[in-house]
Amino acid sequence: MSAKILAFINFKGGVGKTASVVNLGATLAKLHEKKVLIVDLDPQSNSSLWLMRPDHWRDHVAKGRRSTYQIFDDAIQGKSRFNFEESLVKGVVTWTGFVELPRLHLLPASVELLRIEDRIHELRAPSVYRLVEHAIAEHAKAYDFVFFDCPPNLYSTTKNAIFFADHCIVPYVPDYLSLSGFQVLAEYITEMRERYGDSIGGGKRPNIGALLVSHYRQTGNVFRLAINELEIELASFRDQGFVDGDAALLEPYVRHCVRVAESTSEHLPVVLYAPGSIGAQDYSDLAQHFLNHFQNRR
Amino acid sequence: MNYLDLSTRLTNLAEKLSKQATKIEGNDAAKSAMKLVTELDRFEAVLDSYLASRKSGEFFLETLLRSPSAKRHLSLDLLKKGLREICGKRLKAEEFGPAKLEFVETIHAQDKSAAAAKFLKHAFAEAASVESGGKDKAALQQEFIQLGRLNEEEFAKTIAKRTFGELRRLAGSNAVRFTDKTTKPRLIQVIRRFSVRAAINATPIHLSR
Repeated sequence: MSAKILAFINFKGGVGKTASVVNLGATLAKLHEKKVLIVDLDPQSNSSLWLMRPDHWRDHVAKGRRSTYQIFDDAIQGKSRFNFEESLVKGVVTWTGFVELPRLHLLPASVELLRIEDRIHELRAPSVYRLVEHAIAEHAKAYDFVFFDCPPNLYSTTKNAIFFADHCIVPYVPDYLSLSGFQVLAEYITEMRERYGDSIGGGKRPNIGALLVSHYRQTGNVFRLAINELEIELASFRDQGFVDGDAALLEPYVRHCVRVAESTSEHLPVVLYAPGSIGAQDYSDLAQHFLNHFQNRR
Repeated sequence: MNYLDLSTRLTNLAEKLSKQATKIEGNDAAKSAMKLVTELDRFEAVLDSYLASRKSGEFFLETLLRSPSAKRHLSLDLLKKGLREICGKRLKAEEFGPAKLEFVETIHAQDKSAAAAKFLKHAFAEAASVESGGKDKAALQQEFIQLGRLNEEEFAKTIAKRTFGELRRLAGSNAVRFTDKTTKPRLIQVIRRFSVRAAINATPIHLSR
């Protein structure tokens, strides 16, 4: 099996990175029988806390062990304590205590990741951006998809995801502030590609492969106008090479849905918590387009 | 704990028990064993009933029928088409609820779960697909932003050449709202307003190099 590795990035917060990672991952596992690994790189640990009860998560990642933090800490300390199998959380525990979605795996984050950015600069080589790849590349082969939930910044942990990924996916809220953020992000990734692409190696060059829209509301045409501006910008970026030549705005747009918000408190993806909700339906259709867009690509 | 973990645990317990079975004595072990047997009876009954209702190959069909995609895309017409294509039969029920039941029962009776799952998966994927708008839309978006970059005079000159129909297509492809009552001058006004906005907003904020 050769995994498609995708980094969900946006340095703007609140655009639906975690919701996209968790709910697309769960939908692909449940309705398309795909094996999905979610790698949480955000110190806020939101993917981890969405899919795990806080008490389970605290026990699991105590002192940063059995979390993605250990990958970076090992590199800084010159140790090799990270153990992929021990760190992995398989499936989602429902309130019965039993595990569902056995095809969905999570490599959780811990809040200790907050300390990494200050310390990681002790390692000056460009290989500092390939720590995650070195730690999990072999294991990743067992999956259909590996999703990185990145923090809302473009610092070292995020760069680890970007340089390992086949494509970046940009979750997006339809408003001008998101559009301006996307413009800068696309340009910055292009700059990273030009600056580091070959020196970092690995044969992959960072690029944006798709955008997803979250928090969509159908009232009036406020959001439709904002999306029209994004489509115009995306077409122009495709022509200029700031994004992948096939980069697309995937549909449907995920509508605002209170059941999705509520599902975070239940520590379940919406496809398990409220399968009849509009949120679950939107992710279900989005998963279909996502597969069409990514599955048969290089 | 998941069902695979449970099966591993039961297998390990069975192995341990079979090796030591002749050596185990005493009330504590016996009482606990009897409790386990009672719980096992209950669990076996639940499991057998579950498996009987979902023969091999039917699990995925069941998942699809209960999925968010089914809630959105499964219709009476789709059930009719499905039964005709998969089993060569006509669906008798004329209401969605009874039709779904008849569909499932007929599929089960003819052992066509795998074909039905394949049909539904394909049908949901088709239903989920959206029109991209194609080249026309991209061209009209391009035209829209070009209009937004013109000064008032150039805009007025360019837009005057367009028919009302062309303007409506231009507006429609660029999320500019109008109704049947919207007049041509009013439509030109809103196209001007939002094309200028698009031209301003869709111009990148460049990083300094």
